[in-house]
Amino acid sequence: MIRLDATRPATFCDGHSRRDFLHAGALAPLGLTLAGLNAARAADPKPDTDVNCIMLFLVGGPSQLDTWDPKPNAPAEVRGPFEPIKTNVTGTQVSEIFPKMAKHADKFSVVRSVYHTATAVHDTGHQMMQTGRLFSGGVEHPHVGCALGYLKGGRGELPAHVLLPKPIGRTGGNLPHGHTAGYLGKPHDPFILNADPNAPGFKVPDLLPPEYLSAIRAERRQKLRDAVDGATAAFEQSAAAKQLDDNFKLAFKLMSSAKARDAFALEKETNKSKDRYGRTRFGQCCLMARRLIEAGVRFVTVNMFETVFDEVTWDIHGSKPFTDIVQMSKEVAPNFDQAYTALLEDLSERGLLSNTMVVALGEFGRTPKVNPAGGRDHHPGAWSILMGGGPLKGGIVVGETDEHAFAPKTRPVTPGEVAATIYKGLGLDPHKELPGPQNRPIPLVDYAVKPIGELF
Amino acid sequence: MRLLLSFAAFALIAPLARGADLRVYPADVAIGGPNRAQQLLVVEEENGRVVRDLTAGAKYASSSDKVKVDATGIVTATGAGEAKITVTAGGKTATVAVRAEKPAEWNFRNHVIPTLTRAGCNAGACHGALAGKGGMKLSLRGFDPETDWFVLTRQALGRRADLNDPAESLTLKKATRTVPHGGGTRMVGDSVYYAVVHDWMKAGAPGPKADDATLERLDVFPPAILVDPKAAKGSFRTLVRAVYSDGTTEDVTRWARFGSSEELVARVSEEGVIVPAGHGEAAITIGFGTKVATLTVTAPYPNDVKAEVFAKSPRNNFVDEHVLRKLELLRVPPSDQCSDAEFVRRAYLDTCGIVPKPDEVEAFLKDADTKKRAKLVDKLLDHPAYIDYWAHKWSDLLLVSSRKLPQPAMWAFYRKLRQSVADNQPWDKFARDTLTANGSTLTNGAGNYFVLHKDVSELAEATSLTFLGTSIGCAKCHNHPLEKWTQDEYWAFANLFSRVGLKNGDRAGEVLIQSKSDGDALHLRRGIAMPPAPLDGKPLALDAPGDRRAYFADWLTAADNPYFAKAAVNRVWRNFMGRALVEAEDDLRETNPASNRELLDALAADFVKQKYDLKHTMRTVLNSAAYQRASTPLKENQADDRFYSRYLLRRLPGEVILDAYSDITGVPTPFDKINSAAGDASTPIVTYPVGTRAVQVPDSLTTSRFLDAFGRAERVQTCSCERTADASVTQALHLNNGHTLNDKLRDKSSAVGKWIATGLTDEQIVDRVFLLALSRKPTDAEKKKFLPILAESAKDGAQSRREGIEDFVWAVLTGREFLFNH
Repeated sequence: MIRLDATRPATFCDGHSRRDFLHAGALAPLGLTLAGLNAARAADPKPDTDVNCIMLFLVGGPSQLDTWDPKPNAPAEVRGPFEPIKTNVTGTQVSEIFPKMAKHADKFSVVRSVYHTATAVHDTGHQMMQTGRLFSGGVEHPHVGCALGYLKGGRGELPAHVLLPKPIGRTGGNLPHGHTAGYLGKPHDPFILNADPNAPGFKVPDLLPPEYLSAIRAERRQKLRDAVDGATAAFEQSAAAKQLDDNFKLAFKLMSSAKARDAFALEKETNKSKDRYGRTRFGQCCLMARRLIEAGVRFVTVNMFETVFDEVTWDIHGSKPFTDIVQMSKEVAPNFDQAYTALLEDLSERGLLSNTMVVALGEFGRTPKVNPAGGRDHHPGAWSILMGGGPLKGGIVVGETDEHAFAPKTRPVTPGEVAATIYKGLGLDPHKELPGPQNRPIPLVDYAVKPIGELF
Repeated sequence: MRLLLSFAAFALIAPLARGADLRVYPADVAIGGPNRAQQLLVVEEENGRVVRDLTAGAKYASSSDKVKVDATGIVTATGAGEAKITVTAGGKTATVAVRAEKPAEWNFRNHVIPTLTRAGCNAGACHGALAGKGGMKLSLRGFDPETDWFVLTRQALGRRADLNDPAESLTLKKATRTVPHGGGTRMVGDSVYYAVVHDWMKAGAPGPKADDATLERLDVFPPAILVDPKAAKGSFRTLVRAVYSDGTTEDVTRWARFGSSEELVARVSEEGVIVPAGHGEAAITIGFGTKVATLTVTAPYPNDVKAEVFAKSPRNNFVDEHVLRKLELLRVPPSDQCSDAEFVRRAYLDTCGIVPKPDEVEAFLKDADTKKRAKLVDKLLDHPAYIDYWAHKWSDLLLVSSRKLPQPAMWAFYRKLRQSVADNQPWDKFARDTLTANGSTLTNGAGNYFVLHKDVSELAEATSLTFLGTSIGCAKCHNHPLEKWTQDEYWAFANLFSRVGLKNGDRAGEVLIQSKSDGDALHLRRGIAMPPAPLDGKPLALDAPGDRRAYFADWLTAADNPYFAKAAVNRVWRNFMGRALVEAEDDLRETNPASNRELLDALAADFVKQKYDLKHTMRTVLNSAAYQRASTPLKENQADDRFYSRYLLRRLPGEVILDAYSDITGVPTPFDKINSAAGDASTPIVTYPVGTRAVQVPDSLTTSRFLDAFGRAERVQTCSCERTADASVTQALHLNNGHTLNDKLRDKSSAVGKWIATGLTDEQIVDRVFLLALSRKPTDAEKKKFLPILAESAKDGAQSRREGIEDFVWAVLTGREFLFNH
């Protein structure tokens, strides 16, 4: 039954208004609520077994032909320079530039028939792959990890959703990229690292006190802060004032929490472990993602690149300021091959892969025909993504493309279905409704959109 | 036996209180034949408010065989005729005239659709979804009867409506779950809902007709409810009567939907039975078809407050009359008046967004004039910081930002707003200037309003939110689910804004605005142009000459406009009182009544009478005893957060906090970078000279981690929800570890260094900081806590002493007493 409402701006079917949620989630920029914290404390040391997710965003858009959907029988100008190689899964082949992946193909599945029909600019694909929807009418949808954080909150003192290392920057379309909580509101935005974990002297901004603030000073500040007690009676009754103080306590806890500090303390990893992931920004972000998941973060998004300009990326147009196919194969592919397989292997060894999904995806594919500059251009008609871990099956291939990898031949998959699959993998009903703008109920993904059944 | 039972029931009803009336609703009943019924409502009433529902225990008798009334008060008729029903309860008697008419058939538009709506069939999560469900798609809550009739009777090979044997219809078999149904059981076989659909099919399933009677209004009984906090918990029945254009009426209680604005005060069941649950006021909202109505349940707190508490409470102006009347009704005693020291800090912050300087505080405290508070109010309303603060406020409302506007255009827009604040331009003139702006957007900055809202729907919706404080967006695609606005009304409203022409001017960033002589906004579903009409206003002929915007502005600023003045005073009220009379401040609608309607009406009427003078309204609010109450709650009013029994604590806006940090530490905030619209880049700018205050920065894209963390409005969407006052861990982390405050404290030119250099003792510094930040001196108890800590840090040398003082200043500036206005 629809419920009319009065003082609340409007009600949502389950009787909560958006403002209620905002209120309840006011501690949530880090996915934290006191209730959650207390619940987590009470439940400690038994951690919940909810599925986590690491989303590796392959900014630029990997070429399906040169990566995980090779077409050895296509003409040379389509096939490209690389040969396919066998993997440890019979019948599945990947491009030779991913030798390590070939040894771990049982840990992930390839969806080869993803496509979208929006404008072929990076930004639209970023929106759709991170939120399941193309933004229109001024409505910004939440990132999958933010929706998760909104619905479940964080575990203990840790943020629900962490974004490494930075949000996607300019990629030409000047549209939002979909990394925020959108209409769910700022309190549910991801915790953004905003630093390069591969940089020397790496530190998380704002999370830890600056060097000049010793532990003694940090504690002194809290003590002094508690000593200002004017108008005490007025404040004691105020939920908002109480929340302010609670937040300071939580922040202090987070700053001084061994667990939280530890989660971000990459320096605690051995050199061997750092080398295993590769000494690149992406490699070290993957390593940090593993640390964060291990500590209790629910969702980690890793952007492989910040932009597609003047950086060697998956965006292989062939001409400056972009990358060409060979550069990609020499820098980008090995970087990914190493970090991705290290992550799968490491998670698996630590027993975390069974409840941690790892999805690696880009925003679109590339034109099958190599262009005169020796590159490939934007092509949202078909591309391949990698999904595995958690409840998702490994070692299978979903969908196939036509002989030039131009369009899906069987089982076309939309970005909405990818999002639905992640939601289902996370244990959420993909059609659960969120309070949208003006409290219009908006399901996580549209009602007609279903998860990819083959992966479960 | 039967006699005994009814006697027993009769005996249970205690006699009516002295001065109370026995009332029966509805007072006269018209009933249309054997398949119709009218519930009677028997109540004890005092001063127009129902205090007891006596329906269940009353005794009923009819004067005619043709009209029957059962023991529960349900009236039915077997044929046409008239009758008188006598009702006896609590020792009193009342009568109701009943007119029984010829039976009428169930009508698709007025009965079948409401039945489907009530059963949930066309809800958004079911067949009302955009894509339908299980292959059947109905319009959301039945806003499109023609299509729904086609879907139910013509689609699916006609299996949905079997006219020969309605029970075999797929619709009824699914609804009763005789066959598998994803939506579960929606109706039972012997219900009136089933009967309506069944009998309608039996009659040939006639479709909606152009001359069907249309729903004109809802009558809701009882008019209001007053719960006795000391009495045993009872419940109250609600009756809903539909009044149609052909003069017929009908008891539609069983089809209506009910909701409570405050479940903690009163709950309401799906059948419309209200059960008091707590104290305060709740609006019970009732919807049927496209109409809505509300019913107020007043549940006073169980306090024993002497009448003289209210009688003696100060009444500075009409605001206090209304506030105290409400408090007295609810038995909530007001807190005392605040101290002068509290008042001066509070008034500076709420009016001008600045913390008063120590000498200003001192001068105010010393002033012996009994009118000094009113004098201060006048001074603040003419303070230069008033212009910064309110220009910033209206810039939030009008979305001033370089997100969609080139820099020169954004500045022109801002300057126009700022000038209007500086001139205290009457709000109606300001609205008219904005909405009828023509010419260059660089010369007349107001024209940028149309550059921001190029799309006609966006323009219509933003205008409604900005100046009417009401959201009509839902009605763009379907009838508004919570309000009375229909899709037709939406498109008639939108069409007022369809003739605004934009073309690029010669200068960079310049757009030329002019009204066009043609162009219409077409109804999304019907594809036709609706005659342009303001909300509930007179439509303009489609071919009427002249600027439609001017017609709208005339309607908007007319003295009898039902929303314009209320929307403005509600925003002003919220700024000073911490909670709007209608909360959220831009959510004015029938089903979201003000917490004090009489007060809102009075403020709006006064605003109109004073020619839309915003400062006049601000002065009224600031001078009221309600504004000047202490924030400390009494035991009896601590549960109240909406009737203004005390000053409500609120966190200061981010900009105000940041400016205060700059003022107190003596280190200005640099605004030297600007974010890209997509938030993916930050580039240097040189627009803002050193010393620019946060409230003076017109552009919401100016880079500031601090303001982002403290919930500044992004100015993307017209919505008060953009600005958040929530406290978050991000804020706490930023204050602890981030650059903003730490850098100011550590800076070479920081006040901390100057205090030390001038040889101030720890105690003098503590006093100074308290006066600067909190407008008061520290208590001895506080000093006792601070001074040893500072002394301790001073032991390790000058640097350590400075750090200790920095930490002390940090502690004061991040404390609740500083961050909250109180």
